[in-house]
Amino acid sequence: MTTPVKLPEGILDQGAIAGDEYVTVPRDRLRATLEALKAQGYESYVFMTCVDHLATPVVERPPERFELVYQLRNMRTHHELRVRVFVPEDDARMPSVHDLYGPANWDERETWDMFGIVFEGHPNLTRILMPDDWVGHPLRRDYPVGGEPVDFSEDHETWQTAPPEA
Amino acid sequence: MADTRLEETGVQGMTITRAGERPAGGQGELLTVNFGPQHPSTHGVLRLVVDLDGEVIRGVRPVIGYLHTGIEKQMEALRWQQGVVVTDRHDYLSPPINNLAYALAVEKLMGVEVPPRAQALRVIMSELTRIASHLVWLGTSALELGAMGVFMYAFRDRDKILAMNEEISGYRMHTSYIRPGGVMADATPRFLEMLETFIRQMPSNIDEYEDLLTNNPIWVARTRGIGRLPAQDAIRLGATGPMLRGSGVSWDLRKDRPYCGYDRYDWQVAVEDGCDCYARYLVRIREMRQSVRILRQAVDGLPGGPVNVDDRKFLPPPREELDTSMEAVIHHFKLFTEGYSPPPGDVYVAVESGRGENGCYIVSDGTHKPRRVKFRSASFVNLQALEFMAIGHMISDFIAIIGTADTVLGDVDR
Repeated sequence: MTTPVKLPEGILDQGAIAGDEYVTVPRDRLRATLEALKAQGYESYVFMTCVDHLATPVVERPPERFELVYQLRNMRTHHELRVRVFVPEDDARMPSVHDLYGPANWDERETWDMFGIVFEGHPNLTRILMPDDWVGHPLRRDYPVGGEPVDFSEDHETWQTAPPEA
Repeated sequence: MADTRLEETGVQGMTITRAGERPAGGQGELLTVNFGPQHPSTHGVLRLVVDLDGEVIRGVRPVIGYLHTGIEKQMEALRWQQGVVVTDRHDYLSPPINNLAYALAVEKLMGVEVPPRAQALRVIMSELTRIASHLVWLGTSALELGAMGVFMYAFRDRDKILAMNEEISGYRMHTSYIRPGGVMADATPRFLEMLETFIRQMPSNIDEYEDLLTNNPIWVARTRGIGRLPAQDAIRLGATGPMLRGSGVSWDLRKDRPYCGYDRYDWQVAVEDGCDCYARYLVRIREMRQSVRILRQAVDGLPGGPVNVDDRKFLPPPREELDTSMEAVIHHFKLFTEGYSPPPGDVYVAVESGRGENGCYIVSDGTHKPRRVKFRSASFVNLQALEFMAIGHMISDFIAIIGTADTVLGDVDR
């Protein structure tokens, strides 16, 4: 990797896919890694999101079901770096980074809404895109498309419905 | 959430409610006003819960999601080449730029480079879209602040762009013109003719907008010093596009992380350091001028050649080949039944839309459908700066501040 970045201890993996450089860190090292990167000029937070690897056909299986990616950018060197964290399904918690990077606030709410990842330390972890009384997390791979029964449609009885507690 | 406790008093559209909260300073009682989601100045269905101390804004809580259409979920159910039509629909004022972000991401993952003519056509469509998007912003923002005439002028020119969209792609708004592997069709002679006329007329039309607004005392009074967003805060809040450039930060993805050969054109990034609504207005006007400049160069230097990559595993063969070649028929069949499968991996590509950084993050698991597609939309991030810009201003200036963020709610909620 050509990154001129000094990475803190505890990196699990690093590399590049089609020119996009990334590092993988354990969950408890995330905040330390982001703090170190921010101190080195990675002030611009591009986005954060989650990927659900449920039943992936990829041969080299990801270690856990959920993968969170944080895309950071150094606006001086124009360099971008992606920080990955794998989160197990039965312990879907993450430390919140909204105090480090402002835009993470809504991204974390969205990721909670869509994937059910709990961000510890978030000031207002509520649903952001779905209605407040929504059940389930729609972007999980086991949440069916068409999970919402469509009123007045001819075939609404045959539509798949959402699991009662997804 | 705080707003669920509130009691309605029954005025429709703008319900006035009392939260019964007192600010820490012990001044007057805070009045919580619900703004939208069907308020005419919220640009779509944006709901804002505003805490007012008299007429001064003390807090803003955007409530979004009213236009959530599950685009990212739909993409997972579509094949890679089918996803293009869905990308049109999140930022519905700049469909070709959304197409471009997705197409570039798929091409990056597949290691495909499109031919020069396709790149130039992509630039032309991006710049036309940028102008159209700025014109909608200009017309509606001026309309909300009382300058009703500008709207008519702006939509006159926007309609020319929509007519060009129709000529080149068949659709006025959701063009799906830019696709992985190239563009949908070559530019027709009539399109180039229309474009030529447009490029000739546009500079004097932009002068017309400036005559109407730039030195208009009412416009200046309503926008100068309103919605201040200093450069440090703009970066801290993740603002991009005219929101960032209006704060004196020279950052434009077309210049700083060039794509589609933007580095080959001679143009300047529009930067203003006023940090207020007026500076952002000037940035957008100057960007339109620069877009016309790029269009001029792109048309003059439009290279010949194909507009799609010559790869039968990626794009269907030309129609004529199907009549004579069995292999072409097989390729055609495979592409439209199964599609193509990028190698496993994830890439992120960002392009500059009229609103800022419009990014697309795709994850492939090696199958013919995406594992995950995430749109990093400029409006979603820029909207988070709204509270910072609005606090301390009067409620009447809030209209200017909502307008200056130039959010498209389809882009916020995806």
